[in-house]
Parts: sequence; structure tokens; C-alpha cells
Amino acid sequence: MKIGLEIHVQLPTKSKMFCSCPTTDAEAPNTHVCPTCLGMPGSRPVLNRKVMEYGIMLAKMLGCKVADTTWFSRKTYFYPDMTKSVQITQYDNPVGEGGIYYLGGKKPIRITRIHIEEDPGKTKRVGDQSSLVDYNRSGIPLAEIVTEPDLSTPAEAREFLGQLIQDIRHVIDLPGDGERSIRCDCNISVGKERCEVKNVTGLKNVERALTFEVIRQTKILKAGGKIERETRRFDEERGVTISVRKKEFEADYGYIDEPDLGVYHIKELAESIKIKESPLKMTLRLADQYGIDQKMAKQLVTTSVGLAELFETVANRTDVQNAVKWVVGPVSANWKSLGDKDLQPIVDTICRFSAGGITDTECGIEIKSYMTGEDASAVMGAAADLDALIVKFLDENPGLIDDYRKNDKAANKVIGFVMKNSGGQYSSSDVVDATKKLIESRL
Amino acid sequence: MIGLDLSKLKSVNDKYGMFHAMTEKESVEGSFHFSAKDNLTSKDMETCSGSRILEGYRPAFDATAIAKMRAAGGELVGKTNMDEFGFGTFSANSGFEVPRNPFDTERACGGSSGGSACAAAVFEDHVSLGVSTGGSICCPASFCGVYGIAPTYGRVSRYGLIDYGNSLDKIGILSSKATDLRKYLGIIAGKDEKDPTSCVQPDFNPGYRKLSSVAVPKEGMEGLSKDVESAFRKSLETLESMGTEIEFVEMPSLKYAMPAYYVLATSEASTNLARYVGMRYGQQEGDLSLKFDDYFTSFRSEYFGDEAKRRILLGTFTRMVGFRDRYYAKALQVRKVVIDDYKRILATHDAVLAPTMPFTAPRFDDIANMSALDAYKADYLTIPANIAGTPHMSVPCGYGSDGMPIGMQFVADHWDEEILLSVAEDWEKVFESKKPEVTI
Repeated sequence: MKIGLEIHVQLPTKSKMFCSCPTTDAEAPNTHVCPTCLGMPGSRPVLNRKVMEYGIMLAKMLGCKVADTTWFSRKTYFYPDMTKSVQITQYDNPVGEGGIYYLGGKKPIRITRIHIEEDPGKTKRVGDQSSLVDYNRSGIPLAEIVTEPDLSTPAEAREFLGQLIQDIRHVIDLPGDGERSIRCDCNISVGKERCEVKNVTGLKNVERALTFEVIRQTKILKAGGKIERETRRFDEERGVTISVRKKEFEADYGYIDEPDLGVYHIKELAESIKIKESPLKMTLRLADQYGIDQKMAKQLVTTSVGLAELFETVANRTDVQNAVKWVVGPVSANWKSLGDKDLQPIVDTICRFSAGGITDTECGIEIKSYMTGEDASAVMGAAADLDALIVKFLDENPGLIDDYRKNDKAANKVIGFVMKNSGGQYSSSDVVDATKKLIESRL
Repeated sequence: MIGLDLSKLKSVNDKYGMFHAMTEKESVEGSFHFSAKDNLTSKDMETCSGSRILEGYRPAFDATAIAKMRAAGGELVGKTNMDEFGFGTFSANSGFEVPRNPFDTERACGGSSGGSACAAAVFEDHVSLGVSTGGSICCPASFCGVYGIAPTYGRVSRYGLIDYGNSLDKIGILSSKATDLRKYLGIIAGKDEKDPTSCVQPDFNPGYRKLSSVAVPKEGMEGLSKDVESAFRKSLETLESMGTEIEFVEMPSLKYAMPAYYVLATSEASTNLARYVGMRYGQQEGDLSLKFDDYFTSFRSEYFGDEAKRRILLGTFTRMVGFRDRYYAKALQVRKVVIDDYKRILATHDAVLAPTMPFTAPRFDDIANMSALDAYKADYLTIPANIAGTPHMSVPCGYGSDGMPIGMQFVADHWDEEILLSVAEDWEKVFESKKPEVTI
């Protein structure tokens, strides 16, 4: 089985690709529009430079060769949501070609190309007989990423998309809902001939649509039939794909160069653009460089790249043990309450602990108090109360220590008791940390 | 010629048909008056680009060229008739009125800026903005006996120009006075961030340079009418007497320019015209009960003229899978060859010179009998400079036995409008042009 994807990602610019209309959500249809994105006669496109920069960043992220010169093309087709009946896209010399992207850090997925283009408007059916068109989306910049048919299963395609989106979000600061706004054309062949399922929205639907196709195509082949090359669409409600057109009726888009935009020499721009390390690469590097478990590294990176960077700082200033103990421990637990506070005091505290200037308890309290903004004595008092509660339980259940020696899940009994009897005033990570600390002191 | 009396504008227009839309003012309030080809958008006047498909379209913005003329004190008095979207040589392919030649109203003004040339010939102290894609300024200038300049591609912002072939379209000036070319080109030229292709130009501040040498391509002397050939040869003598050296040269690329032009121009045009589907502006009278693609088809069938349909078909064919490389991609290569040929000759000459059109303005009944191919061929002398994007200008240089004006066309190197403007001013001093007899 071979699966290849064409992935459309909206690029997070403030204004549209070829005009200055805003890209933010509009209150009413057809309000974020101007002569250019409405394709009025005499209007003209002017490229938003940021779109080219994002294109280059993604090309680099995907390991593509960035073109020295690139230009735009006109793709002609008739549809009501397409204001000019021409989409400005890239055909010859796209921004990037010939990349490799590693799924899970291991399996290479070849990237055919990445290009930038404008989004059409949106058509909405009202009743049986008519549709309404909203052009607010017309001219929003997109990147289209095309893979070779290197994916082997629908689940793998979903995994690939998940990882890709996470990396893209990281590299170009895509907003959090990037996953939902992703649109995909899925090419899949179980036998020799392939079918394309157009315009599937979201990771889950990509997997559903592909799974449906696997079953459909397999059934046809088993019955001795032949798969016809065609374009299909996915019906989200019914979970099935439906034929739209056969190969011989495939649109001929009649690409020509876009004469209004000219040729872009982007060699120097591309050299000046440095991209951030992708989360996956960072995960693999952390595990490798600091000898920590890959799971732990992933947990750090997925919580926040900032947290992972703090881990590196602490590991370099003190040692990996301290970094694991404090950054993976209490710092990670309180990461959400940190807000935009400076990280340096945390590093300083851990260094003082490492140098023997403060005790284990003091270090924990300082970190938590700083991160949550709670008064140190309150934190200390709360911690002392928590400790007292745990000590009391351990004293009353002396057999638990032996159980713990056999299986550390025994700690859950303590944790459950404390959570139940403390009215939820402690965070679960605080309870877990304190329990482990106190059990281990009795081993 | 007659002075511009707005109260008589309508009756003049009834006779010559130069305007599609006219001002409703009683008198000119600006410091000068001008007209503009109807493919330049104007806020206060309907803009149709000669097509019924745009009937009723009132743009939300002024074309940059019109805005600049207005800012300089100009008053727009009318939008001039033209071939539909610029598709033609005689302005006879108009969805509306066909302008009539001021020297003989049975004859064409040329095209596609026919109404502009007509207005420039009929009204005193009048300047008209024209647009050239394949010769649409020089051809009507020649037929109507006026000066017309199409500057270097990118010299004048195309913002607000209703596109024919975006890589070829150039906005220029038509006037009965040579000195107007410098004056008004100076107003409309310059960078405009709304048209990126205008932003690569060097500054426009032309001085004066004497024309010391011209190259006359031998290929440009073929297929001329007797009147045109003799007027042109006489003009060469005049130029020599003015101290210009004349050399006949070979320019083999000229004959390839025309097929390449029709491939590029129609390829681009067919994509430009794709937007006219009766949904968002202009004419919208169609059967809404149809499915959208049937609606589009019926609408386009109804409101596009025959020549527009022909060019959409041609241009769609030349960019189809399987033909794109053979036609579209090859035409792009030919364009480079033509440019190189001009560069080669202009390295040792100030300008390339040939007659503008091979014959004088034809009669409408003769035009009706012409095949599309005959009409396309008539442009073979104006197309090369247009495909190369080099500045070019037609000046009146004689009159045929039928009394109709004859023009000759100078082509200069990219951005060298200076030599053309200088030639025009020198030429005007030695050549006495005739004015049409205008009576209403």
C-alpha cells in the first residue's frame, strides 16, 4: 500500500498574501475584502514578503533545497469561490523541492515539493437550490507540501501529519488550532492504480478517509476488479469516499507564469533565514546528548520548548541529575503558573542547591513559591501539612513500605488517601513528589 | 480640429463615436482636459473595456495613470471606445460603438486605442491615454495622423488597467502635439507600489538627444502599400537631411515575433478573461436557476464577442497539457530572441525605424471582408517592439493618395524614452501634419 499526501497549511500572516486585508476572523461575511482579493478588473497582486519567508522556513524544515529564483503561476479553473477563476500558485520553480522528513526520527518520508499559494473563498450551501459565497478567506496565504507515496498505512499518515503540524507550529508559530485547519489531498493505491481523496479536513478524517479507501480498494481487487484512477471526496458524516470525476475528466489547469509578480531572487533571503530546531529533533537530541529516556525528553519538549531549554541550561550549569530532579519535577509541575516570569531565578536556586547552599526542601519551596507567586511560608506551611498527612498515613500502614519494595505502585494508596483527605488543595504532582520522597526516606 | 466645448461633446461624439462614456459637466474645470481608453478604471465613469460583459461596471478605484492626471489638474472628459479588451486592429471588435476616422468616417481609426486616437485628432489641446499590447497605440496614431508613444514595459503603473496580456500591456500617450508626449508621460510615469512591475524602473527625467543614427530592418520594408512605401522613403530622406545616418539592417527575429505574440497574448488573455462569469460586477443578467458552471458558460457565450471567444480558445489551447511546451514555453523563448536582436542593433543605433502600418486606414466594408488572420498580420510591424517591451512611438510622416495619414514607428532601447521624445519634437518642426476637417 502506498500513500502520498498533499497538505495545505494556512500561514499565520497578519495580512493576506497579495493585499493588505486582515487575516483575522471577520464578524460578517465579505467584510475583509478589497478589489485585489475580490479580483476586480484592474486590481493587481502585491506579494506579502512574510509569505515568502514562511515558505522558505518550511522548505528548510522539510530538508528541501530552496530555489535560488522562484516565481508564481496561474492555475485556471472555474468555481464560484475563486474570484479571478485563476489561483495564484507556484508550478515551475516552487520555493522548495526534494526534501526528506523523518517520521518518528527514523522513517524517511520524501518531500516532493513545497510551494506557496492563495486560498479561495468559501462556498456555503443554503437550501437545495442556492449557495452563498464568502470571500473573507480569499487570498489567505497557504503552503502546500507534497510528499512522495512513502507512507504505508492510514495510521502512519495520521502520525506523520500530527508530527508535521507540531513541527510547523513550532517553526513558524502557527496558532494552536493548526491541527483543525489542516486540509489534505490523500493519494492512495492498494494495487497499481491510485485514487485521490480531495480536501479532507483534520487528522482524524484523513485516517478515516484513507481507511475507507483501503477497504474499498481491497474489496475491488479481491473480487478481481480493477481500480479506476479517479478523484474522490470524503463525506465526513457518513465516513465514506465518493467518486467526483474519472481520470479522463481531470481538470487541465493550463498553468502559465504570473506576469504581474515577476521573478524572485531568494538566495540571499534564504541564507539569512535560520529556523528553530523542530520539537522532534530537539527530543531526539536531548535524549542522546543528556542520556535521558526519550519519553522524558518528549514530555519536556511537548510541555514547552522553553522548559526543554531550561532543562539544558540547568544540566549545563549543574548536572543532568539535578536537571531531571528539578526541571522534570517541580518546575515542570508548575510550568503553567509561571506565566511570562523570568527563568533565571529558577536556575540560580537550583545552582545554590547543587552547591550545597540550601536544602532539598528549601529548594523545592523556593521554586514553587517563585513560579506560583505564592508566599514562601504559605508554600512551606502547605508542604509541611502535606508531609504531616503522608507521614501519618505511613505510620498507620507500616506494611506499605514492604509492598513498595516489591512494586512501586503501592505509592498510589498513599496518594489516593491524601488526594481524598486534603480537599484537593494540593496539586497531584506535589502529592506524588512528597509521597515518593517520604516513602524513599523509610526504605 | 475643434476646441473642446463640453456642451457640444455629445454631438461630436454622435459623428465620430470616440467615447463610450462622457463627463456630464458643462465646462472643463481643470487646467487641462484628457480622455482615457475604456480599459482604465475610473471611479466616476462606467468602465467596460469595450465589452458588454462589463456593462454597468463602475470601478471602486481610479487607475493610477488616471489618478495622476487628475492630481496634476487634468479633467477626464470621456472614456474612449476600443476593441473588446483590446482584441483588434481597427476598434471594430467593440461591444459598443465603433469610432470613425476623422479624415473619413467610412474608415476605421485603427485599434485597439481607436477612440483615443480619434479624440486626439478631433479635439484641440487634447491628450488621450491609450494602452498598447501589440501595437494598440501606434496603429491608431498612424491611422488618425497623431503622435502616439508606448513607453517601456513597466514605465507606467498598470494598476487599474483591465488586463489583456499583463506581460505586454503598456499605458501611453496620444496627442496631435509632439511636445505633449513629454509633458504627459512625465505625469503618468513612475514607480507605484500597487504594481510591482513598475518598481524596477530607473528615474524618468528625459533630456534632449539628437537622433544620430537609425537602423531600418529590411524585413520591415516587405508587404507595404505603395503609398506607405513612398511616404516612408521620403521621410528617410528628410531624416538624412536633418543629419541622421540611416542604415538598412537584417532583423531576422521580426518574422517570429508575431506568432510568439499571439501565443503569449492569448495565453494571458484567456486567464484574464476567466474572471468574467457574471457573478460579481458588470453585466449580471443570466439564468440563475442553472448550475454554476452552466450559468458561467451561458453567460460568457451571451456577452463575449466573437473575437474575445476566438482568443480565449486560442489562448486556452496554447497552455494545455501537451501543448504548453510547444507553444507557450517556446513563445517565451522567442521573446528573448527578439529582445536580443533589438539589443544587438540598438548597441550601434539610436533607434530602429519602420513604417507603423503597412497600409492606410481601411474602409469598414473592407474590414468586414478580412479574415481574422489578415487582420492579425496587419500588426506585424508593431508587434516586435511590444513583445520586447521596448519603448516605441508613431509619428505622422505623410498622406496617401486617398488622403489618409501614414505613420512611421521609432523603437528605442528599454527605458530610453528620451530619444523618442527628442525625435518627436524635432520631427514636428520639419513635418507639417494635416488636421482633419471637423464639422458638426
